[in-house]
Amino acid sequence: MTTRLDRELSLAELEAFGQELDALRQRTLADLGEADARYIRRVRAAVRGCCWTGRALLVLGWFPPTWLLGTLLLGLGKILENMELGHNVMHGQYDWMNDPEFAGRQYEWDIVGPADFWRHTHNHVHHTYTNVLGMDDDVGYGVVRLFPEQRWKPFYRWQPLWVTIQALLFQYAVAIQHLRLDKLVKGRISKEEVKPLARRFGAKLVRQWGKDYLAFPLLALLLGANVLAVLSGNLAANLLRNLWTFLVIFCGHFTEKAAVFAPEILEGETRGHWYLRQLRGSSNLSGGSLLHILTGNLSHQIEHHLFPDLPARRYAELAREVRLIAQRYGQHYNCGTLWGQFATVLRRIWIYRLPATGTA
Amino acid sequence: MALLSLALARHVARGLQPLRRLCASGWLREADVDLCLRLLHPALRLNRVFAQVEARRWVADDMLAIELRCNGNARDWRAGQHVQLYLEQDGVRHGRSYSLTRVTTDGRIELAIKRQPGGRLSNRLLDRLAVGEVIELGQAFGDFAWPQEQGAVLLLAAGSGLTPLLGLLRDALARGFAAPVTLLHQVRRQGQQAFAEELQALAARHANLQVRWAFSGEVGGRLTAAQLAALPGEHLLLCGPRGFVEQACGWWCDAGRGGSLQAESFSPLPVLAEADTGEVRLRFARSGQQVSGNGNASLLEQAEASGLRPAHGCRQGICTSCTCLLLAGTVRDLRSGELFAEPNQPIRLCVSAPHGDVEIDL
Ligand code: FES
Repeated sequence: MTTRLDRELSLAELEAFGQELDALRQRTLADLGEADARYIRRVRAAVRGCCWTGRALLVLGWFPPTWLLGTLLLGLGKILENMELGHNVMHGQYDWMNDPEFAGRQYEWDIVGPADFWRHTHNHVHHTYTNVLGMDDDVGYGVVRLFPEQRWKPFYRWQPLWVTIQALLFQYAVAIQHLRLDKLVKGRISKEEVKPLARRFGAKLVRQWGKDYLAFPLLALLLGANVLAVLSGNLAANLLRNLWTFLVIFCGHFTEKAAVFAPEILEGETRGHWYLRQLRGSSNLSGGSLLHILTGNLSHQIEHHLFPDLPARRYAELAREVRLIAQRYGQHYNCGTLWGQFATVLRRIWIYRLPATGTA
Repeated sequence: MALLSLALARHVARGLQPLRRLCASGWLREADVDLCLRLLHPALRLNRVFAQVEARRWVADDMLAIELRCNGNARDWRAGQHVQLYLEQDGVRHGRSYSLTRVTTDGRIELAIKRQPGGRLSNRLLDRLAVGEVIELGQAFGDFAWPQEQGAVLLLAAGSGLTPLLGLLRDALARGFAAPVTLLHQVRRQGQQAFAEELQALAARHANLQVRWAFSGEVGGRLTAAQLAALPGEHLLLCGPRGFVEQACGWWCDAGRGGSLQAESFSPLPVLAEADTGEVRLRFARSGQQVSGNGNASLLEQAEASGLRPAHGCRQGICTSCTCLLLAGTVRDLRSGELFAEPNQPIRLCVSAPHGDVEIDL
């Protein structure tokens, strides 16, 4: 099913390809400034505005317009915080500002997974080994088989079910990725290794639950408002974010035309080759600026993977040039609408639940 | 617009301990709390030090003293220490270090800023920093201190090296230090003798204080070994550009004068010539190590080679695990060859090689 029509590049071409992308990166870096700083501050203000208004509206109780709007605003705030703010800041995209509030190494986001876990599983593992089988855990997160190259196990037969559960609980899936429970079960790491991590996860979990499901409902109680309305609003907002982030992230690397790689590809990999792998392994979503903001610009997954540390608001302008470069080097630039791309993801999930298909 | 006066805000700041604890343990987001505190007073923050400019006065042709009042988060500051002053420009929060010339118990401090030819930050501060403006500072650092032992003190300053010494001197005299003190301030030309009137007044009031100036721009004006030998004092405190400090230290030691010696210099660290990738000095500030290194290998490798275990991941500039502050010096980006010399900015150790002596926060 992976039917990419990419030209294979000679070593010289690869080198030139890498240099073009490096130059593009350099140009953007040199141009960073006031406007980028203002933008991320605005995003932060929008996050606050959405979350605080949303929570305030939820205190008004079950009255449908306010409950619905409150839930949607809170969900929106959480989505923005997760993607355009947290994800991007934690990539170090705004480190150059030297503002402690946007320091990638320190930012802690509003989801149950501790930021430090994610900085490892995502920034390091996923971005270094993008779509390399056996190295990048993000390929199916260990519960889904998406490519024929992945060895089939009976467990995958029910993967449409696993994926659904994963989508509903996406923030938990992201959080426990770092605990490497699969390795623990197989006895490849010891309990002692997992324990401190589990403890940290537990602490963050308590804080997140304490905030959404205890502190704010209690506050509502004190204000004489409807506790259940607040509780359910928080639950729904978190659910909304889970589904949305799942959707965006699965469309980033598991679409029809996304490629996976055997671990051998890493041997002596040059910078040009690394760029090429990022380009072939990622897929973009086309759409308006609202879509781009809501996805934290992960709709420009290709640009994000080529330049993970450039401010995401620049990806749209970078995309124009990257597309041209890809064309010039005969590489497929994987881009489609959200639903179009998602349909191909669903097809992968459906097809590769069975063993035989992949070998045909 | 401030709901509270700064004096009141300082009291509030003291009572914020529970909030600080909640932020530290991750229950509250510090930035959000700060946003609310700012409504009470623009300088009020939970942990970060902000200060309001209360006065500014020229103390030399090219030096401005500014008086600031801090928000209550300045912890145990002493005159003679340095503090980072942050200023935002083109979206980047730049930090520059200045000496504290005065610290009082009510949270007032004084800094003196010298004009740097071509310095973007110092010129902005000198020309446009207005009374009433709120600026951010870092926590004070440095351990320059007045000698504990009895005996005459010699203070030797060049240029803005006067500022930490002045802070210490004012403190010592106010505490009633009675042994002889000699201060020699070397400046390039007339008009640059910072705080001259105040120093003369101090000398008039305290019989044990002697103040002199030397003008390095004039023939025979520069301090010599013989002149230093003629200056009285058992304990030497020395501050100025690197060349000045190293030379004077050398003379002092060669002369075999006992007592104690404290020196601080502030010139930019030496930078390698373009083609040169020779030996450089690496200072790892947090672990207090100084080692010699080279201009070829990444700082990550060189730190590891000297026994440190910096956090890292990809080792190729992707994951930002190895991000660390460049405190001083110049580094070269191994991917692009770009040079980077902005102090107090984050760099990635795995793709940065020293381009001259560097100091990093590791
Ligand atoms: S170790 Fe990954 S950026 Fe330096």
